[in-house]
Amino acid sequence: MNKEAFNPFRMAQTQFDHVADILELNEPTRDLLRNPMREYHFNIPIRMDDGTSKVFRGFRVQHNDARGPCKGVIRFHPQETIDTVRALSMWMTWKCAVVDIPLGGGKGGVICDPHNLSAREQEQICRGWVRQLARVVGPLADVPAPDVMTSAQHMLWMLDEYEHIYGNKFPGFITGKPVGMGGSLGRTEATGFGVVYTLREALKQLNIKPEDMLASVQGFGNVAQYAIRLYSQLGGTVICVSCWDQNDQTSYSFKKKDGIDLDALLKITDRFGGIDKDKAKDMGYEILPGDAWIEQEVDILIPAALENQITVETAQKMSPRVKVIAEGANGPTTPEADKIIAERNIFLIPDFLANAGGVTCSYFEQVQSNMNYYWEKDEVLGKLDVKMTSAFLAVSDMARKRKLYMRDAAYVISVARVAQACSDRGWV
Amino acid sequence: MTHKRIQILSEKLPEFDRRFFESESIISRIGDGAIGGKASGLAFIKDTLAENFGSGAVNGIRVGIPRMVVLTTGLFDHFMKHNDLYKTALSGESNTFIADAFNRASFPPDMVGDLRAMIESVRTPLAIRSSSLLEDDMYEPFAGVYATKMIPNNQPDADTRFRKFSEAIKFVYASTFFKSARDYHRVTGRASEDEKMAVIVQEVVGFRHYNRFYPHFSGVARSFNFYPTGQAKPEEGVIDLALGLGKTIVDGGLAWSYSPAYPRVGPPVSSPRELMKKTQTEFWAVNMGKPPQYDPIKETEYLVKGSLADAEYDGTLDYAASTYRPADDKIVMGIGASGPRLVTFAPILVGEMIKLNDLVVRLLDICERAAETAIEIEFAITYDRKAEIPVRFGFLQVRPMVVSDARLNIEDGEMTGDDVLAVSERALGNGEISGIKDVVYVTPENFDAANTRTIAAQLEAINRRMLNDRRPYLLIGFGRWGSSDPWLGIPVEWSQVSGARVIVEASTPEMNVELSQGAHFFHNLTSFQIFYFTINHAGPYRIKWEWLNQQNAVYQTEFIRHITLARPLNIKVDGRSGRGVIRI
Repeated sequence: MNKEAFNPFRMAQTQFDHVADILELNEPTRDLLRNPMREYHFNIPIRMDDGTSKVFRGFRVQHNDARGPCKGVIRFHPQETIDTVRALSMWMTWKCAVVDIPLGGGKGGVICDPHNLSAREQEQICRGWVRQLARVVGPLADVPAPDVMTSAQHMLWMLDEYEHIYGNKFPGFITGKPVGMGGSLGRTEATGFGVVYTLREALKQLNIKPEDMLASVQGFGNVAQYAIRLYSQLGGTVICVSCWDQNDQTSYSFKKKDGIDLDALLKITDRFGGIDKDKAKDMGYEILPGDAWIEQEVDILIPAALENQITVETAQKMSPRVKVIAEGANGPTTPEADKIIAERNIFLIPDFLANAGGVTCSYFEQVQSNMNYYWEKDEVLGKLDVKMTSAFLAVSDMARKRKLYMRDAAYVISVARVAQACSDRGWV
Repeated sequence: MTHKRIQILSEKLPEFDRRFFESESIISRIGDGAIGGKASGLAFIKDTLAENFGSGAVNGIRVGIPRMVVLTTGLFDHFMKHNDLYKTALSGESNTFIADAFNRASFPPDMVGDLRAMIESVRTPLAIRSSSLLEDDMYEPFAGVYATKMIPNNQPDADTRFRKFSEAIKFVYASTFFKSARDYHRVTGRASEDEKMAVIVQEVVGFRHYNRFYPHFSGVARSFNFYPTGQAKPEEGVIDLALGLGKTIVDGGLAWSYSPAYPRVGPPVSSPRELMKKTQTEFWAVNMGKPPQYDPIKETEYLVKGSLADAEYDGTLDYAASTYRPADDKIVMGIGASGPRLVTFAPILVGEMIKLNDLVVRLLDICERAAETAIEIEFAITYDRKAEIPVRFGFLQVRPMVVSDARLNIEDGEMTGDDVLAVSERALGNGEISGIKDVVYVTPENFDAANTRTIAAQLEAINRRMLNDRRPYLLIGFGRWGSSDPWLGIPVEWSQVSGARVIVEASTPEMNVELSQGAHFFHNLTSFQIFYFTINHAGPYRIKWEWLNQQNAVYQTEFIRHITLARPLNIKVDGRSGRGVIRI
């Protein structure tokens, strides 16, 4: 795997170009949608706990807001790059459009490693990020949310800073807040559950029952954990998960032939989703290299970690048994690997559809926060399921009718919606 | 009479289609596991109805099962575990406490999407009915023990509709562990934790009339009649009809009861004025108007009662009523003349404006042959003169009855003698019981209709003790058992007397009412093989009150005595002749 060569933004643009051709979009529309509308790059100077100063690099990219205020996560990651942020903001635009919520796409990040930062230092980064962007974000402009290595606590620090600047209460400024502090019930589960709602519908269309299916999952963070939980509740069995080991700075796969025990594994998992491999071994898990999750003899693969994980190289390792790939992560599959998946007739649930549960629930949170009236969990999850299922059915119908690959069908629906909004506004 | 067990596996039903009203399947399911008794009955009879009636009409009547979805017992299991509810459910706490705990619980994520999708596409009133595993067992009918909740489902906002829908399902779930259900479980020797509840979500058959939604009338038909009157024979069955929702019949309210062999023959009354007192004066409907006081744990939260004047205003009395003409003290069919209205269903049963009786007789026959046992069906009727097929017959429920074949003759000589405690010529049940030593009776000396509610409460306390001690007993009281009107009898619910093995209902000169047809308890009485004696004070046989009063009471109140005898009573009933005798 040549990770240095991978550029997620280039990949996102390649995907867009392909769909633009299918839709026969005109040049101005292509130019508008191929690149973000706005980008903000800035420094965040922080006083560290040891008294020294350090400057962190922050970003916010607003890809397109024709359909509504931008919505997008903030990622704290040492390998964060502007092209990753651009790609994710574009995918966010498509994601909001494919589930038909009235939001545009945005994305932010800070190059940092929270593992090596104290809580106070992280709080300073959060507040610094908001101070830099307060004029261009907000409940009616751009609504951030948590992502890799950011949490409800980070969102609350950011909200507090924003409200401090504007001297009022704006719970709709940010989502992913703790429940009771403007957060929505069901938000924690939303992305993982959303992946499985779409997977459930895919299995129905393939006329196979979850209880007959084995699955392997990459990642053991929030998305993977809730996807595994709901998939197990539907009767399915997950036999392998992989996760990042912070101490060894590498990833491992954990395999149990008769199915992993989610609750038991959670007891030996740190807050970043890292499983204690020694304890797992004692519990009877086979410890395998990080890439081994994709080689398992399973029917379903759920990549739910980082982008660029299913490549030409790793796709060759997939078992002939694999029937469905549900992309819990953003951009886990390269366009080249897509061709292999399509040739092998594997049913793919593309990332920006499969993992749209998170942003859909974020939208619900935003609506609740703006009303300052909060729903019961049943209402949130019920609406989420309906939204995700409807979106999946629209995409699979499109794929069937126009004989398209599922990713292309999802793109066709979402790009067409965004292009239409731009056209309706008279932009292009 | 033997019967076959109706058991339909959930896999046989198609999965729920989120486009509820566009779906081809009238009955579908959400989840895996069992679908329970009521749903099994309907799933079982669905194909039989289709074979016999197709999608066309018979005599201008379209017969069909209203569209429904079954939430399987698998979902119930999941709900209970997801919310860790068993501890609360089995705590023995009050119904309110249990219902509140269930109402606070949330649905599992794999269940909630289909429910939400359904409510987004459906805006018609819904009935949320129990369909438990034990209801599936025909010898242990749990009819009326668990809750049914109806919701108007007409709020413009889907969120509100969803909330009300969720609350109704949770309420029906909670009713699995209500006190009356727990008592039932005890009587049948089942553990409450073994019971699992499937739920039927069914379109309510009816039309909206102003702020009320209801069928023109509802009915319960039984293919075997343990209470035959006049020339009617038990095997000819019995039909009860009531204006509005069937709750009137199920609750034992005033309904029009007749033999399908003699549809023109009304109840035995001495005068038109008496008939006015014995016919329905109010009806149940779903409240489509102003939201009621919020009370999610009340079964009738969204139900309202209407008067006959309301029904006439709604235009629903046309086929259901007759009119009392005071000038000549006569009752005339229909509502053409002015005067007080009586719900007699004469335009249908006498005028045959709807050929209902023929249809119900045919349905009873078809269902009885299919189930290979005597059966009971519930239905609701609407009519729309403008429609191509004006009458709709909504088939709501079918369940088997227990009818014993064993014969036991009671000769004339056995009806009298010093050792005879009580005799009835209108007894229900069949066979012999010889293990009962306990008698709980309402003392005739202190009985007053004004105290029947107090008596009901006192009976409940005794009943609970007897259940705990596992002592079946003979119960004797006055007026109609289970009457909703405390002036016509003792207004007990079944759970308040569920430990009784033999029940006697007697009249007195002061409470000289037509004694109970066992409308509410009927299915329970016969299925638990409980003997039921009806004794008229003016008849040839008397209860030996003096003897009873001479026995030492182990417990007594102002109105009730409980005695325990040294030797068990001998109790016999001949089911065919209706004769029964209790010997000391």
